[in-house]
Amino acid sequence: MKKTRWILTAAAALLAGSIFGASAEDKAPVRIGTIAPLSGPGAFDGQLAVEGMEAMAALINEKGGVLGGRKLELVKYDDKGNPEEGVSAAKRAIEQDDVDVIVGGWFSSVALTMKEVTRDRILNIMTSTQHPNTTKEGHKYLFRLNATSTMMSDTYSKFICDKMGLKTIAFITINDDYGRLEVENYRKLLGQCGIEILGNEFYNKEDTDFTTALTKLKALNPDAIYVSAINTAQGATIYRQIKQTGYQGTTIASAGNMNPKLVELSGKALEGVYSVSLYAPDSDNPRLKAWAEQYGKMFSNEPAFIGTLGAQAVELIAGAMDEVGDARDYEKLAAALKAHPWDTLLGTITFDDIGQAQQNIYLVQVKDGKITSVKE
Amino acid sequence: MDYIVLAQQIANGLVNGMTYVLIATGLTLVFSVLHIINFAHGEFYMLGAFFTYFAAKLLGVDYISAAVIATLAVAALGVLANRLFFWPLRKEHEFTILLSSLGLALLLTNGGELLFGADPKYVDSPFADSIVQAGQLVVTQQRVLIFVVGAVILLALNLFIRHSRMGKMMRATAQNPEGAALTGVNIRQVYTVTFVLACGLAALAGALVGPTAMIFPTVGSWAVLKGFIVVILGGLGSIPGALIGGLSLGVIEALAGGYISLGFAQAIGYAIIIIVLLWRPQGLFGIARRT
Repeated sequence: MKKTRWILTAAAALLAGSIFGASAEDKAPVRIGTIAPLSGPGAFDGQLAVEGMEAMAALINEKGGVLGGRKLELVKYDDKGNPEEGVSAAKRAIEQDDVDVIVGGWFSSVALTMKEVTRDRILNIMTSTQHPNTTKEGHKYLFRLNATSTMMSDTYSKFICDKMGLKTIAFITINDDYGRLEVENYRKLLGQCGIEILGNEFYNKEDTDFTTALTKLKALNPDAIYVSAINTAQGATIYRQIKQTGYQGTTIASAGNMNPKLVELSGKALEGVYSVSLYAPDSDNPRLKAWAEQYGKMFSNEPAFIGTLGAQAVELIAGAMDEVGDARDYEKLAAALKAHPWDTLLGTITFDDIGQAQQNIYLVQVKDGKITSVKE
Repeated sequence: MDYIVLAQQIANGLVNGMTYVLIATGLTLVFSVLHIINFAHGEFYMLGAFFTYFAAKLLGVDYISAAVIATLAVAALGVLANRLFFWPLRKEHEFTILLSSLGLALLLTNGGELLFGADPKYVDSPFADSIVQAGQLVVTQQRVLIFVVGAVILLALNLFIRHSRMGKMMRATAQNPEGAALTGVNIRQVYTVTFVLACGLAALAGALVGPTAMIFPTVGSWAVLKGFIVVILGGLGSIPGALIGGLSLGVIEALAGGYISLGFAQAIGYAIIIIVLLWRPQGLFGIARRT
């Protein structure tokens, strides 16, 4: 008697389980494979990026999620800022964890290798990578939010040529695909307007001391030193060490690499320094304000450009999925993203045929320890 | 003009070299006395920098006091690391100890990331941005401080090991642990003191270098790598070797960075390891150990 009751209970439980299981299946979350540098020197930038995504996902989930009630869920992977780790993370995301879309590509070297894993298999939103080849050699489901370093340098070099009154310049750049391209671009663009390029020093992403390179650059006596630093820790060290070697000239910060933490860590060394960015912190876009407020509720860091890019990726994914009515029809999702301009927290964004975004580029300057946009 | 740049690069190199010496001395001390290769050594460097940061921030003390507090606190952690890890493992095979130390390193790094956060931090020092100018040479006060404190500490360590009772016990243990134990040397105490010294030295290096660069929880892997290059160059277990090896590595890197490219400076460290291992595996000052 007892036994049969047990069996009945068990059967009932099974039945109930399958019913609840089925209903949970309907409302399964949309899983976003989030591949970012979560350890190593780029860890902080990765953290800012992921926090930006989480704040936007929370905003969207609060309003009921996507596709009629499915929540957005981030599945996080650490690429350590290494191309190899990025590749294996993308493989794991697709093959083992079966995520719906992938957001990644914070550093160019990672994006350039990772895109071969995602090629034509999954919707892949690349974020802060600036190397033109990310989209130039991209694939039919690949999109990139940031402006390419070529687009940035076109805008930035005009300002440097017309407004800064320099005769000579020297560079200190990171030794990777992005850094090498930067030097090439600026050599050409600044050369054209008559600024003489005195030299360039490459550094590696593990370096912690730059006095050697800076001593060499200082000896060339340039009017300005252009610093291309993609991670906050190294950037702040370089800006401080420029002053510590006794260099008195102008410092120029590379495009898209300005954030509040960098300003805080660099202290006086960044005061008055220019950069260009897609993110104007003093913008009054209501979407940006709502996101920044949510971010402030969830995290203690100040929102940064890299976080807005992550948020924008989530915003676009949610928008496209709702428009298409499916999370996996990549053909349609890609077509939808390219079809019309999208309103996002960074303003209006459009994509061209190869998935490259066109967004506003602002000139920014550090004033009294705050990043402010320069109104011309 | 060119001589000034050369002199400046040598000065840069000597200061960087002195931090390598401080890191490598602890590493080589633990090896020579206890025959332990400690991969977690770099983590004590990281802790030294972070403790300085937090001592200054939470206790509100000035940089120098914070650095002293951090050094002592990490030295005390050395006692703990010894009690919990290295002393219980002393009878195990060398590889077991080596792998355990790697585990300890990972534990401390990830613990650090969890506890301190991944954001880079800056150890504020009044000397960091103050420039000392000698002719056309430019050095910050902080970098002078690194060199001077490093030199004084090493001198003191040398005197301690040569002349103090404890130093003699450590040397006896290095030569023959069983023999030393038979003559009444307290091996347990030798272990403790050696770890206190090694961890303290690493922490001091972290506290001194903190204000010259940003710190983050994975910075220890950089430190231990530099330490090993120096130790291989100078010879495992040799303190004069660590001194000369560290200073030479610093200067070689600075000159290579200055006259070839900074991009190469790191590769040169690895090249040194390979050349030394091929040509003089015991290191420049090492005592050949055949087993």
